[in-house]
Amino acid sequence: MNWTRYGPRALLFQFADRVGNEAFARCRAIVADLERHPPPGLVEFVPASTTILLEFDAAVEPDPARAADELAARMDKAAVHTVPPKPVTEIPVRYDGEDLPALARARRLSVDEVCERHRAPIYKVYLLGFSPGFPYLGDLDPALHTPRLASPRPTVRAGSVAIGGEHTGIYTVDSPGGWNIIGHTPLRIFDPTRGAPNGPDEAMFLLKPGDRVKFIPAT
Amino acid sequence: MHEAVFEILDPGLGATVQDRGRIGWRRFGVPPSGAMDDHAAEWANRLLDNPAVTPVVEFLLQGAKLRALRATWIAVTGADAKANVPAWRVARAEKGDVIQFPKNRSGVWVYLAVEGGFFGETLLGSASVYPRGGLGRALAKGDILSHPASAHFQLPAGVAGRAVDRHEVRNYDAAPPLRVFRGPQWDFFSDSDREFFFDQEWTVSSQSDRVGYRLEGNPLRMGTIQIVSEPVLVGSVQIPTNGLPIVTMRDGPTVGGYPKLGILDAGDVSWLAQCRPGLRVRFQLVS
Repeated sequence: MNWTRYGPRALLFQFADRVGNEAFARCRAIVADLERHPPPGLVEFVPASTTILLEFDAAVEPDPARAADELAARMDKAAVHTVPPKPVTEIPVRYDGEDLPALARARRLSVDEVCERHRAPIYKVYLLGFSPGFPYLGDLDPALHTPRLASPRPTVRAGSVAIGGEHTGIYTVDSPGGWNIIGHTPLRIFDPTRGAPNGPDEAMFLLKPGDRVKFIPAT
Repeated sequence: MHEAVFEILDPGLGATVQDRGRIGWRRFGVPPSGAMDDHAAEWANRLLDNPAVTPVVEFLLQGAKLRALRATWIAVTGADAKANVPAWRVARAEKGDVIQFPKNRSGVWVYLAVEGGFFGETLLGSASVYPRGGLGRALAKGDILSHPASAHFQLPAGVAGRAVDRHEVRNYDAAPPLRVFRGPQWDFFSDSDREFFFDQEWTVSSQSDRVGYRLEGNPLRMGTIQIVSEPVLVGSVQIPTNGLPIVTMRDGPTVGGYPKLGILDAGDVSWLAQCRPGLRVRFQLVS
């Protein structure tokens, strides 16, 4: 596994060459291993589609690069393990997004076909980013891959289900956004009041990295 | 127990409660946030014997006004906003005093600490407000700031004379060369692009905020470097397709697809944070 320094306190490991099922499985296995046995001085780890960042506390590990080869070997070993899949989270969606008709035209599909194809797969949460809890979901049907809007909208409301390039995702807070909005979900994917004050902090996030998702019709 | 200590009469161009930031939530898409200039914020707290993690109020440039609701010790550090209280030293606010930051003479971010520390709601382990991500909200006119009621009588008698050593008071109009370590995509850039980056003075763009500082100058000539989105750290020097660097700041995205030429030394991020639009900065490679 290749690695590179990312400043004095962090290392970036590349666990896969390209995005996909294999990368996803490797990532989950590596994360499970890091959670069980965090290396000394690990402050935080951040998995993405093909890379994972490990950040260290300088007081415990002043030169993380010293341990990098060993960590890479360890992660290579962990990556082949099979982690049981998590249950599928169902997300109700109304396909009433403002970009749906234009997206269907651009893809030479009917609106119904777009919705069917979008609902069909069980998606994987490759990473959370952009805003708190915003899931980058794959694998989107290649027939639906659509570039982002030429200029982002100043405001996209939370709950908007959208397509950006080869991913589909859900806006978690009202924010500017350039993805094509195809629908809306009433679920709050990120809710800072959920879990508080005594619940676990993670309860704020409906979806976690490595989760699986299925879109179902909203009733 | 908390007691009201200040009322916001005017938040000015922007005011938020910040501490040292949120650690451990990047993988959920939550950036660290925290004081943009942690050097100044830490000194404000240290003057008042507050632990370094204590929340402070961060003001953007000028315009803020606060009324003291009771007598208390305060410390103002950071940007010079021509405050009507002395900066970089302990000051006394009496009940009814109005503290103002009317002008902006140098720097960008002003910090206000109070004895005992400001109360801020803790979300995901930090009181740092991140309005764009729904974690808290910016301060508004009429908001009441509070601090622990036990704060009184804890500071030693000599506190009134405390000031920050003048060598620690920074001149934000003259940042030193900012130290940069090699970034993950260092090898993707040509020698001439790297030289180009380190040889020129860059101008801080007016399109700079808590998310990122954009730099203007002669763009790097790199071709399109495509990478799969990967984790991004604060201080990263990202080079988008137009060749003009964007330095990721404390509310910046946790993942991104721009190649990263380098990453600023953590201590120098606070220097860059205080560089006003129009100021010129240089970078220096750390090997």
